[in-house]
Amino acid sequence: MNAVDRYSCEEVFRRLNDYLDRELSPAEMALVQEHLDTCAQCAGEHAFEASVLRELKAKLRRIDVPQSLIAKIDAILSDPGLRKEE
Amino acid sequence: MLAVPDWTGSLRLLAPLVALAFTRPSRTEHPTPTPLDDVLTPLLARAYGLALRLLRNRADAEDLVQEAALAACRGFGTFQRGTNFKAWFFRILTNCYYARHRRQRHEGPPVDLHETPELYLYSRTAEIGLHQNAADPAQALLDRLDGEQIATALQGLPEEYRVVSTLYLVEDFSYQQIGAILDIPVGTVRSRLHRGRRILQKLLWRLALERGVVPEAAKEPG
Repeated sequence: MNAVDRYSCEEVFRRLNDYLDRELSPAEMALVQEHLDTCAQCAGEHAFEASVLRELKAKLRRIDVPQSLIAKIDAILSDPGLRKEE
Repeated sequence: MLAVPDWTGSLRLLAPLVALAFTRPSRTEHPTPTPLDDVLTPLLARAYGLALRLLRNRADAEDLVQEAALAACRGFGTFQRGTNFKAWFFRILTNCYYARHRRQRHEGPPVDLHETPELYLYSRTAEIGLHQNAADPAQALLDRLDGEQIATALQGLPEEYRVVSTLYLVEDFSYQQIGAILDIPVGTVRSRLHRGRRILQKLLWRLALERGVVPEAAKEPG
């Protein structure tokens, strides 16, 4: 990779959210990763933001589905009354 | 782009679709699961999770998923086989949510957080020395908040940021998928998600202060 192809800290910072969300092109992803591999400051910021997202996702997804809902949906899927509307 | 109908109106608007759409046989007559069962049932947990994070109330979340499932049943014939059923169903769910939300209109207090800087939590946790004391300072902070507390912070986001952020955090949809579900451009998804993320960090920090999980001395400037 040529030096002119490399991202600066500012360029990486601008793309950090898209990088975290895997929304960059493969070439951009590689350029950001290459910078993070060599810049401790940016790598630290990236690691922090990635950890925040990981923790938020994990905690927000811990939900038990009530059996009452499963029964209600099963009733909807089995409701002959809906078929009468055909 | 997903080929999905606009469900924003009353469910009664869906009634004309039923004659064309609903082809599901009775279970008693045909015990073999239909395609709708196959694709809808595995999504229930995720749909309920999204509904609960949007509404913060278990009874309301159940009602919302039930309403969306009913609409999906009635409109299943309009679903194009081979396209993304999950995105199709979640679009129905979010449109049912918007319809319900418009009826109920319970906005929280105004939020003056639009100018929250980037890396807000990173800066705050660095100021209180967490970066020296923890291998993973973000985890060290967020470990002290449970899912309900984080959901409370998420609830504090302005509506346009909250729905996009919830779809992203709870379901991990791509920007394109969120855009298709909400019928907004990908660029709008991106800007709302990034700004919402910054605001959420500030709300989480305030919550951490209120709950005493970080020292009072770390109160934010201004």
